[in-house]
Amino acid sequence: MSAVEEAREEQAAPGLIGARVRRREDGRMVTGAARYVADVELPRCCEAAFVRSAVAHARIAAVDVEAARAAPGVLAVLTAADLAAVRPLADMLEVESIKTPRPPLAADRVRYVGEPVAVVIAEDRYAAEDAAELVAVDYDELEPVLDVEAAIAGAPLLHDHVPDNVYFRTQFRSGGTDEAFAAADLVVSRALHVNRQLASSMETRGVVAQADPDGLLTVWLSSQAPFQQRYLLALALGLPESRIRVVVPDVGGAFGPKDFVFPEDLCVAHAALTLGRPVRWIEDRQENLMAGSHAKEQKLHVELAFAADGRLLAMRGRFVGDTGAFAYSGPAGLVDVMFSAQSLPGPYVVPAYDYDVLGVLTSKTPVAPYRGVGITAAQTARELLLDEAAERLGIDRVELRRRNLLGDEPATSITGQEYDGGSYATSLERALERIDWAGFPARQAAARAEGRHLGIGVSPFVEGTSLGTLAQLQSGFPMPSHDHAWATVDLTGTVAVGVPTCSHGQGHATAFAQVAAEVLGVGVDDVRVVERDTEASPWGMGTYASRSAVFGGGAVLKAARLLRERILAVASLLLEAPPEALVLEGGFAGIAGVPEARIPLAGIAGAAHFDPGVRAALGESGLRVSVFHDSPPAYSNGCIAVEVEVDAELGTVRLLRTVAVEDCGTMLNPTIVEGQVRGGLVQGIGAALLEHAVYDDAGQPLTTTYMDYLVPRSTDVSAIEVDHLVSPSPRTLGGMKGMAEGSSIAAPAAVLNAVADALSPYGFRVERLPLGPHAVWEGLRAAGTA
Amino acid sequence: MKITLTVNGSRRELEVDDRRLLADVLREELGLTGTKVGCAHGVCGSCTVHVDGRAVRSCLTLAVQADGRAVRTVEDLAAPDGTLHPLQQAFSEEHALQCGFCTPGFLMTALPAADAGVPLDEERARELVSGNLCRCTGYDGIVGAVVRASAICAGAAPAADAEAQR
Repeated sequence: MSAVEEAREEQAAPGLIGARVRRREDGRMVTGAARYVADVELPRCCEAAFVRSAVAHARIAAVDVEAARAAPGVLAVLTAADLAAVRPLADMLEVESIKTPRPPLAADRVRYVGEPVAVVIAEDRYAAEDAAELVAVDYDELEPVLDVEAAIAGAPLLHDHVPDNVYFRTQFRSGGTDEAFAAADLVVSRALHVNRQLASSMETRGVVAQADPDGLLTVWLSSQAPFQQRYLLALALGLPESRIRVVVPDVGGAFGPKDFVFPEDLCVAHAALTLGRPVRWIEDRQENLMAGSHAKEQKLHVELAFAADGRLLAMRGRFVGDTGAFAYSGPAGLVDVMFSAQSLPGPYVVPAYDYDVLGVLTSKTPVAPYRGVGITAAQTARELLLDEAAERLGIDRVELRRRNLLGDEPATSITGQEYDGGSYATSLERALERIDWAGFPARQAAARAEGRHLGIGVSPFVEGTSLGTLAQLQSGFPMPSHDHAWATVDLTGTVAVGVPTCSHGQGHATAFAQVAAEVLGVGVDDVRVVERDTEASPWGMGTYASRSAVFGGGAVLKAARLLRERILAVASLLLEAPPEALVLEGGFAGIAGVPEARIPLAGIAGAAHFDPGVRAALGESGLRVSVFHDSPPAYSNGCIAVEVEVDAELGTVRLLRTVAVEDCGTMLNPTIVEGQVRGGLVQGIGAALLEHAVYDDAGQPLTTTYMDYLVPRSTDVSAIEVDHLVSPSPRTLGGMKGMAEGSSIAAPAAVLNAVADALSPYGFRVERLPLGPHAVWEGLRAAGTA
Repeated sequence: MKITLTVNGSRRELEVDDRRLLADVLREELGLTGTKVGCAHGVCGSCTVHVDGRAVRSCLTLAVQADGRAVRTVEDLAAPDGTLHPLQQAFSEEHALQCGFCTPGFLMTALPAADAGVPLDEERARELVSGNLCRCTGYDGIVGAVVRASAICAGAAPAADAEAQR
C-alpha cells in the first residue's frame, strides 16, 4: 500500500463519496431552529439545581434541607438517603481495582469540590437555585490529595479499598530495552507535567427526563453514546432497558466527555420517576468548569536512546495519570495513561520499549476522555525529545525524524498496534513544503537581526482510530464493540438509513447520506439518516475516538450495498432480466442500455411490499436490511507545522503560520474533514498555550469561569492551511480511517518546539504546559536570562 | 414587573420578575430558543442579540432593561419566505459551523458589520468575531463567512447559488 494520491479539490472523484456536499444540518442551525437539550419543551417541566461540595475532601457530618424544602416553588429536595434505591455508577470494565462506585449524591463523604451532595427540584431554575443556597452541609474536613506523587506516597486514601490511591497499575517490557540504553550513544529524557484541561464544549451537559404513566422513562441527553447510556441508566436505576428511551437532540459539541452517564443524570431521572413530572437540568458554565469533567493531566517521564547516526534504539516511559476522585468511568481514567503509553512510538520505528503506567486518585474532579486523550501527552514528550536529541547529535531535526519514520506499508508497532499503512514520510515532506521550512532560517535570521524571535516546529503523527473490538484490545484494555446499521426504501421511493453513531457536530446526516446515495444511485436529499434515538436508530456504541467514519460510514456502506442487491433482485423479477444486467441510477432500477426499461424506486418498494411473488422472493426482511459491523483498527496520519513569534519580554506567543497535512484514507466529505482538522488544531493550540484547570493548595478550583479557564479565541490563532493525502486503509470497508483528533494530538508539540526554537539562543526548555506568558518568563529565568 | 418588548418586529407585553434575564425571557417565555446560553457570564457570546440595533449579551441583560426597546434575535435573520440572509448563507458555504451552538451568537455579532455594506478583510473579520467563542471550527470558516458576506452585502461579490457545491 504505497500509492499516495493527491486529493486536491479539482481532482475529487465524481461520486458522492468524497464530494464537498454542503451540510444539510446547517439550515436549522443558522436560523435558530436547531433543538438542543435545553430547548426540549415539555408541559409542567420542573428544574433541578445541585448543592455541591464546597470542600475538596471531608466527611459529611450533617445535611439540613428543611429550609430549602420550605422555600417557594420547591417540589423536592433530595439527598443520598432519598436516592438509596439508585445504585452508584459502576464500571463496565472487568478490572476489580478500578471499581470506585460513584454515587448519584455523596452520602457520608465528599472527595472533590463540586461533588453533588443534594438536589433541589423546583418550578423553575431561579427558585431551585434560591433553595439550593438554603441547604446547609456540615463538613468534617480531611486532608485533600492534590498531587499524584503525594497520593502514592502516604496521603490519605480516597477510597479505602484502593491502596496508595493507585487504582490501576501495569507495565510492558519488550525485551532488550536496558541493553539498548546501555549501548546508546545518546540518551535524552524529559519529565513533563501535562496540564489538566477541559473539553469545554459550548453546550454544557444537560438532561431532561420524563416518566410516562405506562412506565416508559424518556431521557433527552446531550450525548455521544445513547445506547451505552441507556444501559448504564438501566443498571443504576434498576429498570429494564426496554423501559428507557434515550433521545439525543442536537448536541452542542462534546469532544469526549459526553460518552458516559453522570451522577446528575441519575438524580434527574430518579426525580422524574418519583415526582411524576418532567425534570430538566442544564449545567451552567461554572458547574461545568468546576465539576463537569476534567481531562488529560498526567506526569510522565520519557527517555529515548539513540545511536550516533540518529537511529532510535529504544524508549522508556513512566506515565502517571491524575484521574481525580473516581476512576469511573474506568475507560475515562485509563485512556489517558494507557493511550499515552501505547502510543509513544507514534510514526517511528522503535526496536525496544519499556513502560510503567499508574492510574492515581486525587481530590479533583474526575477525568473523562477528551479529544486526543493520552496520545497528545505521549506525542508531546516524544517530539520535544526528538528536537533535543537532534541538537545534541548535531543532526538536523527533520533529518532525524526522516531516519526513524515508518515506511508506508502496514506494520505492527512494538506495543502491538497494527498500523494499516499511510503516508508517514510524504506527509512530513508536504508539511515542510507548505510552511516553507527551507526558507525559515532566512526568516529567523532576519527577525533576530531586528531583535525578534521566530521559531518553527514540526510534529508528524499517527492517530489510532476505528476503535472497535480489536483496536480496543490493542490499546491495552479490552472493551468489546458492537454496531449495526439498517437501510430501507419506502413506498415513495426515498431511502432511510439507521446509523449506530451519534453526531454532535460532525455532519453525519450529510456524510452518511452521501455514502448511501452513491451506492443506491439516488440524490443526497433522497436519503434520510436516522440516528440518536434508542427507539428508532440501530444499536451502536456511538461517536467517540474518531470511530464514526469507519463504523457509521462502514456500516452504512455495508447496509446500502445489501439493500442495493435486494432492489436489483426485485427489479430483476419485474423486468425479467438478470441482476447483473441492471443498473441503479437517478432513482430508477433499469436494464443497462435500455432507457425505457426502468422502474422507479417507489415501484420497487411497492412491489416488495404488496406483490405476493416479489415479497415471497425477498424473504422475511423484505426491503429493510440490517447489518452488523465491526472493524479492525485503522490509523490516520499526518503532520502539523507551525511558525511562531515569541515576545521574550512579555512571554507571549503569536502564531504566524499553521499547516496541517492530513491522511485519513478515503474521505466521505473533505469539507467536513477540514473542519475537524482545524477545530482539533485550535484545541491543541489551547492545550499548549492557554488552557489550564488550576487548583489551590486546599483543593479549591480557581478556574471556574471563562475569564480564568482560557479557550482560544479567533485572534489567538492564525489561519490554518490544510492539505490532504489519501492512503485508503486496506483493512476497513471503503478504505476510510477515522480522523478528527490527529491535529489536536500533534499541535501542542509543534507549537512548543517552535517556541523552544524561537528561544533557543537562551537555552529555553519546555517542562510543563501550558506555556502561557508566565511559564515562558519563568522558563527564560530558569535558563538564566530574564 | 410589566414590560413591553418589540421582539423581531412584534410587540409583546410581558409580566416578568425583575431579576429575570433577557436570555431566559426570550427562550422560556417567548419560545425563541435560537438564542443560546453558553456561559451565563458574558464571555462566550452565544447569547448575543440586538437591542435597539446594538449587539448585547442577553445573559447579562435583565429583561426589564429592555423594556420599551426593540429586540432582534437570530430567528429574524432569514426572510419570511425562508431565504437566508447572506451571512447565514455564507456560514453554511464556508463550513463556519459544526455543532451550531455558538452560531446564533456569531451571526448576531457579525450582522451589523456585514450589513454595513463595507467589505471586510480577513484581519478585520477575525478581530470582529474575537469576542465570541467557538470550540468546534477553529474559526477559519467563521472568518471566511464574514468576509464573504460583507463582500456580498457591499455588492462587491455575487451571491453564490444556494445549491452550488464548492
